Amino acid sequence: MTKSLSFLLVDDDTDDTSLFKEVLEEVNPSISFNWAEDGQQALRFLKDQDSVLPDIIFLDLNMPRMGGKECLAEIKNDEKLHKIPVIMYTTSSQSRDIEETMQKGAICFITKPTNMKELKNILSSIAGNVHSNLEKTLRLLSNNTTTFIVC
Amino acid sequence: MILIVDDKQANLFSLKTLLQLNVYDVDTASSGEEALKKILKNEYELIILDVQMPGMDGYEVAEIITGYSKSKDIPIIFLSAVNIDKRFITKGYTSGGVDYVTKPFDPDLLLLKIKTFSKLYRQAKELSDIKDNLEQKVEKRTEELKQANKNLEVSNAELQQYAFIASHDLQEPLRKIITFTRIIEERFLEKTPEAMEYMSKIITSSERMRTLINDLLNYSSISVNPKFIFTDLTKIVNQALVDLEVSISEKNARIEVDDLPVVEVVPEQITQVFQNIISNALKFSKKDVTPFIKISGELVQKKSAKSKPSATGEYCRITITDNGIGFDEMYLDKIFNMFQRLHGKSEYKGTGIGLSITKKIIENHNGLITAKSKEEEGSTFIIILPVNQTAEHQTS
Repeated sequence: MTKSLSFLLVDDDTDDTSLFKEVLEEVNPSISFNWAEDGQQALRFLKDQDSVLPDIIFLDLNMPRMGGKECLAEIKNDEKLHKIPVIMYTTSSQSRDIEETMQKGAICFITKPTNMKELKNILSSIAGNVHSNLEKTLRLLSNNTTTFIVC
Repeated sequence: MILIVDDKQANLFSLKTLLQLNVYDVDTASSGEEALKKILKNEYELIILDVQMPGMDGYEVAEIITGYSKSKDIPIIFLSAVNIDKRFITKGYTSGGVDYVTKPFDPDLLLLKIKTFSKLYRQAKELSDIKDNLEQKVEKRTEELKQANKNLEVSNAELQQYAFIASHDLQEPLRKIITFTRIIEERFLEKTPEAMEYMSKIITSSERMRTLINDLLNYSSISVNPKFIFTDLTKIVNQALVDLEVSISEKNARIEVDDLPVVEVVPEQITQVFQNIISNALKFSKKDVTPFIKISGELVQKKSAKSKPSATGEYCRITITDNGIGFDEMYLDKIFNMFQRLHGKSEYKGTGIGLSITKKIIENHNGLITAKSKEEEGSTFIIILPVNQTAEHQTS
């Protein structure tokens, strides 16, 4: 029996969060969706012994209390958490943000699409390949969508 | 005020009277010592000095007077007996003017000399005052300018920050507008084409606004802390071509890149420059003609589009030629202006900021950019960049 996937989205924007959740349900309703509104809440969830660790984390950059860069660093420094692939999912497309987060260990940098069809395409590709060829999938995506994706 | 120095009271009296008749203020001293004391205390415009005095003679007094900085410029007229002692000539009194009058003296002649010398002295003093005044003014102005400059730098930094924050914060609500307008269009308006059409217009305008804000953001952050690195320009051009892959294959364009030199630049900014110019060349290509773009570069001597090539040149000239629709050279200045377009919005897409950003980047690199073109005969863009940035800073 294949274990159902679990996605974690860390984002303080409620609109983007509900859209993401909606699209994810369309892609695959069996994927469990978890949400944290900032880095601090995310870490609390991730470090809690009772939590089921997500298969992939989508991390926004600009959040109150603890932002994406700090949260990413914490995740990559933790021995239980550092193996979880982290995709930066943000409104920014600044090269400085891209460089810093890729250096810190994010596997990919995605600028939030404004087109829900695109988002569905992206989430569906990722959901199908989380545990195999994730990087290759992401690279293919970056060449085939108008969404700004950097791997 | 004039000082008369003579040990004989009678002489003092007659000279004093003569001068006062001619409306001069007069002071007297009956010995060298007394004269020196008075000179230290008062301001005199002229000193009439008897040469033959007991104690210090006129020459000794004169020597001391010219030694004081306060009095060294005061003109001195010696009153001497018929046998003029040449000592005063050989001693070379230079400043203030020195003359002599023999006794018995001609009052008219003496008055003339007094007039001339005291006028000279007054003029010299005036000049010196003006000079001091000017120097003070210049210092004050320089301080004011320095302060104004500092203020400008502060306000400039503030403006740049403001532009950055404004563009950044403006993008967020805009993004939401675009996102949700699209959702409405997709989910609810399939059956109402008219509504779809209007929604499309909203989305198009919002996208345009987003591009504009992005470009403005770009423009405002160009001069902030440029980091110059020696970069192979061929690599930069190839990177720009990769970024434009889709357009290039869509238009079936042929691009030829010659070997380009290594130049000290801000890599991301120069990549933008090539991207902008090549994408323009693709955009403004002739409808039924395969676009052909050639990029070449060489070292040149001077910072000028017409400069001769030179293997030891300090500047690099890059030429980008296309076979597109060209433009009338009378618009040359305009195309580099922000928001200036030569075609309608619907004819060719674009915000009109691209070339002004390109120009700003080139200027930020202490270079220059210009173009040559003829309508229907393609365009050539010429960019000159200093090979070395630090040297450029020293000479500018």
